[in-house]
Parts: sequence; structure tokens; C-alpha cells
Amino acid sequence: MRSRNVIDMHLVNRMQAFGWPLLAVTFALAIILAAGAIVGSQGPEARAEMYEGLQWNGAIFALFGPLIGYGFTSMGQYFPLALGLGLTRREFATGLSVVFLGNAVVYSALITLGKTIEKATEGFGLGIRFFDVFYTSTGAPWQTLVQTFLLILTVLFLGAAITAAFLRFGQAFLWISGAVLALIGVGILSGVLFLDGFGRGLLDLLTMGWGPWMVVIAVIGALSAAIWLVLVRRTQVS
Amino acid sequence: MLDESKPLFIAVAEQIEDGILDGTYPEGTPVPSTNELAAFLRINPATAGKGLNRLADAGVLVKRRGVGMFVTVGATGLLRRRRRDDFARTYIVPLLREAAQLGIDPDELTEMITKEASR
Amino acid sequence: MTAIETRNLTKQFRDVVAIDDASLSFAENRVHGLLGRNGAGKTTLMKLLTGQIFASSGEMRVLGQNPVENPQVLARTCFIQESQKYPDGFRPLDVLRIAESLYPAWDQDLARELIADFRLPEKRVIKKLSRGQLSAVGIILGLASRAPLTFFDEPYLGLDAVVRRLFFDRLLADFTDHPRTVILSTHHIDEVANLLEHVVLLDEGRVAISEEAETLQNAAIEVSGRRDEVMAFAAGADVLHVQEIGSLATATLHAEPGGAERARAAGLQVAPVSLQNYIVHRTTAAATAAAR
Repeated sequence: MRSRNVIDMHLVNRMQAFGWPLLAVTFALAIILAAGAIVGSQGPEARAEMYEGLQWNGAIFALFGPLIGYGFTSMGQYFPLALGLGLTRREFATGLSVVFLGNAVVYSALITLGKTIEKATEGFGLGIRFFDVFYTSTGAPWQTLVQTFLLILTVLFLGAAITAAFLRFGQAFLWISGAVLALIGVGILSGVLFLDGFGRGLLDLLTMGWGPWMVVIAVIGALSAAIWLVLVRRTQVS
Repeated sequence: MLDESKPLFIAVAEQIEDGILDGTYPEGTPVPSTNELAAFLRINPATAGKGLNRLADAGVLVKRRGVGMFVTVGATGLLRRRRRDDFARTYIVPLLREAAQLGIDPDELTEMITKEASR
Repeated sequence: MTAIETRNLTKQFRDVVAIDDASLSFAENRVHGLLGRNGAGKTTLMKLLTGQIFASSGEMRVLGQNPVENPQVLARTCFIQESQKYPDGFRPLDVLRIAESLYPAWDQDLARELIADFRLPEKRVIKKLSRGQLSAVGIILGLASRAPLTFFDEPYLGLDAVVRRLFFDRLLADFTDHPRTVILSTHHIDEVANLLEHVVLLDEGRVAISEEAETLQNAAIEVSGRRDEVMAFAAGADVLHVQEIGSLATATLHAEPGGAERARAAGLQVAPVSLQNYIVHRTTAAATAAAR
């Protein structure tokens, strides 16, 4: 199975595959723990307040950050090597999809494990929240597993799709996508300001249930993956 | 190492001929294989093979299946005869032309050759 | 058998035609030279043949099939690119290990020997290697892959004369023991001239020459002597190049049967024209003709 070599390639640089994400997550956790120790020393009230507030803290993005970069690196650096060594684009895409799936499984399991420990030890004895936050779902552990799995997979495919689009369309893609995003932003803002009921509708949309949100993430992920697959089959290495 | 004014395979063949004439490859003994020749002269094996085959076609070498090429018995005489025929064209004609340019007439030239040979 | 066959192959980038209507044939198990100036389209042609980029029009058959997205062809094809990029943190060791499992005919013992020969620090990060060491990575990969079709694109960059000679000898030895189709693109024509059996010269994307190396090595002669005599002799011939120094001149002419003898009879000196010089004359002659 020649696609296996794509997985091997991604395991060569262990720092990139595991080292940096784990280091980043450890560092972020250490900061939150330190903050928890300081706030916790100011009494139970402050501690409870902190527990409430910390569900919105994005320290877990220290893990997602390097993973976004992973999608970029795969397309930007591993793709030219794979092609250079005679792998087909299809073989590369198959291998990379497995790599992405593996990443999503490993890191979502890690976060779920972290969350379970965090809840069982009441925030590592300091009343903090690092794994049990809004972005990883504050619901049951299985919800965290599903949510983080989908989120990581989506982020990886999105990164790959963006890089593939950049390789295919060059600088123009960045300008056009930037312009489109800005237009959408302006559209939403003006809708909120000038249209009656638009803001309320938007709020309703954003506060829809967990299930629908998962569907949204899955759709974005699937769309990114589809775009990436279409583009990668047409990408030329210059 | 090889005469560059000729097609490469002919230069290869001539080098083997030189070896036969000067006794490097006595009659009945093997000559280097295509691959050895290619590696030694740093040329493509196909060219080396072409040079050897040219000699085989001329009857200077004989192929022994699975063993290689050997110098034919009588190859030295064959080569000498052929080279004698070429001698005038390749050496004497240019010699006379150069001599004429320097104003050396054939008699004087003969004298010079005799003198040089007796040294 | 032909290893590569192209018909009217064309690759157009936005504003340049990099390969222009190329119809070529490369026979199996021979060493082919792919020559031409920078930007003549050599790398583009090799990228087309290995499916790295897509043709604008035309057809190609590599090892009997269309190479694009074709694992059967690509597993038997090794393309050593001068500009190959390696991911951060990769060491020669890592690349060779992956290549080993990708090329069915890979010879690990040969790879080990070559690493020693080229003194390649296999555990040093590739990004920190010198240009010459980087070239060595490609050379080792290309030789050890034993791929039935191997492309070497400027394998010589950054190598000194000693190491170039080493590459030449190892290529020759390995080619002799394991015949395969080799396409060699290089500027050091003289160094490889005796290794090439067939030569393709590209000029501005077009095929200027596709010919047996032996024919090319005898395709031209250089006659020199007194200017008026050289000019008189060259008058009826196909002249590639003329150089004059005072009352002397040297002309490079397309060789015709008996041409050398006639030149000597006319009192001119005759010298062979090396493949390198012939190629240079052919490319500059084409350039001047185009400029006119």
C-alpha cells in the first residue's frame, strides 16, 4: 500500500506531529493552573466565579493552533515530496486523510480524557477549567469526544483546502477570499444594524442546540475535504 | 586517452588493435570485456561493445560464447598488413606536405629519416 | 522498445509556451542526454513525463502508459529534481527510508555504499546540507532506486570535479550491471558526452535535435587556416560558426562526406568538434536565426 508512505512521512518529524501540540497544550494548562492557584487563594467565592468564567477560556486553542498549521504543512511541504517520490495525487490524498483522521482520534481522545480527569478532580483540585470549556463542549464526555473530533478534523481539512487553493490560484485566492469574508462581515453587520429582526434571528441561529451545531461543523469539514480533494487532484508542482 | 577525432567506437577498436600490436594482448588471449572496457575508458557500454564487435567482424577478435572475446591467432599479421596499407595515407602524405612547406625536398627528407633511424 | 513516446506534446504556462509541439521518442535501456540552455524546457518536459504537471495538449506514453496519476508507471520512474524541496526536519536518512519502500527495485546495499562514497552526513537535517550534499541525496536516491526509468535533472549542482567523476563512474557501473533508461539533463556536456547514446536538444521549448550521440559527435568539423582559403572553402558549406583572428580564420561546418579530406587537400587544418561545442553552435545559430 503506497499510501502508507504518506503516513510515514508525517511521522518523520515527531516534534511537528506530536511534540509541538503537546508542548503547547502543557504550557497553556500550566498557565491556567497557575492562575487557578492565585485566584483560588482569594477564597471560595472568587473560585466559583472563576469556574463560571473559565468555561469561555480559549486556552485549549493552544492545541488547535498547531493543528491548523499541520494542514498547511502537509500540502505545502509533504505534497511536493510525495509527488517527487512518484506517489500519485490520489495516493497522497488517501494517505493524508488517514493522517488527519488519526490526528483527530488521538487529540479528541486526549481532550476527552483530560476533561474526565478535570471533572473528577474538580479542576485538578484548583477549580479551573481547561478541557471542560465551551469549545470542547461542556456536556457529557461523549459530546466532547464527538465535538473535538469533528472540530479537529474540520480544522485540518480546512487548512489543507486553503493551502491547496493557494497553490492552485496563487495570491489571487487570498485577495478574493479575504474580500468575500469582509463582504460577509459587512453584510451581517449591516443586517444587524438596519434590518428589524435580523439580529434576533442571528442570535437564535447562534444559540441553536448542540446537535445542529455539530451538523454545521461536520458540513464545513466535509465541504473543505471535498474542495481539497477536487483541488489536490489538479495541483501541479512548480 | 582516446583519439577524439574519430567516432568513439572506432577509437576504442584502434586502442585494442594497438594493444594487440604491442603485445599487451597476445594472440589467443582474452581482451577486456565490454563492461571492463566501458568502466576503464569511461564510455557507454554500448559504444565499447560496438568497438569490440567491429574487431570481431574484421576477424581480429573471436567470440567464445559465455567466456568473452579472444585475440584471433594470426591477428597481429592481419593488423600489420592493414596498417601498412594505411601507413602512406596517414603518415607519409602529411609528412611530405609539411616537408614541402619547409622547403625540404624528398631526397633531403630520406636523408633525414636515415639519420634519425640510425641514432 | 521505447521507454517514452510523446506526440505534439505542448505545455503552455500563462504567457509562455514552455514545451512546444514536442514529438519525441526515447528508446529503452539507453542513456539519453536532454540538453538545452536554461529555460529551454528541459525540466518542464521531465515534469510532464512524470505527471508533476499537466500537458496543455498532445499525448505521451511512458513505459507504455499515460504517466499522469498512474502508480504502475510512477513506481517504475524515479525523477531526481534539481529543485526538490524537502519538509522541515527531514534528514537524508528519512527520505531514503521512504524511497526504499516506494521503489520496488530499491537496493539498500547500494544506497549504503553510495552514502559512504559521497560522505553524506545522513543524520544532518537536509535544510542544513550544502548544495553539493543536497545533490548527493538526489544522486543516491536515483541510483539506488534502480527504477527502470530514471531522470536526473542537473544532478551535478554544487559538486566538485572529483565527486562529479564519482557520480559518473557509479552511474556507468550501475547502468552496466542493471541496464535501464536514464535521462540525463546537464550543462556539463563534455563530461557526460561519452556516456550518452542519444541526445535531445531543446531550444525555446522546441525539439532542435533528436539524434544518436555518435552522429552528433561527427556532425561538424572545424577547419582553420588562412582567412581567404577558409572562406573560399566555407562558401559552399553549411556554416555554423566563423571566428577570425587577423588573417586567420576558423569555421565550424556541418560535416559532409569527404569534407575533411577536401579541406586537408585545400591546405586547411581539420579538427573534430566536441558534442558540447556542437550543441553550443546549434543553439546560438538557432538564436541568431530567430533574431533575424
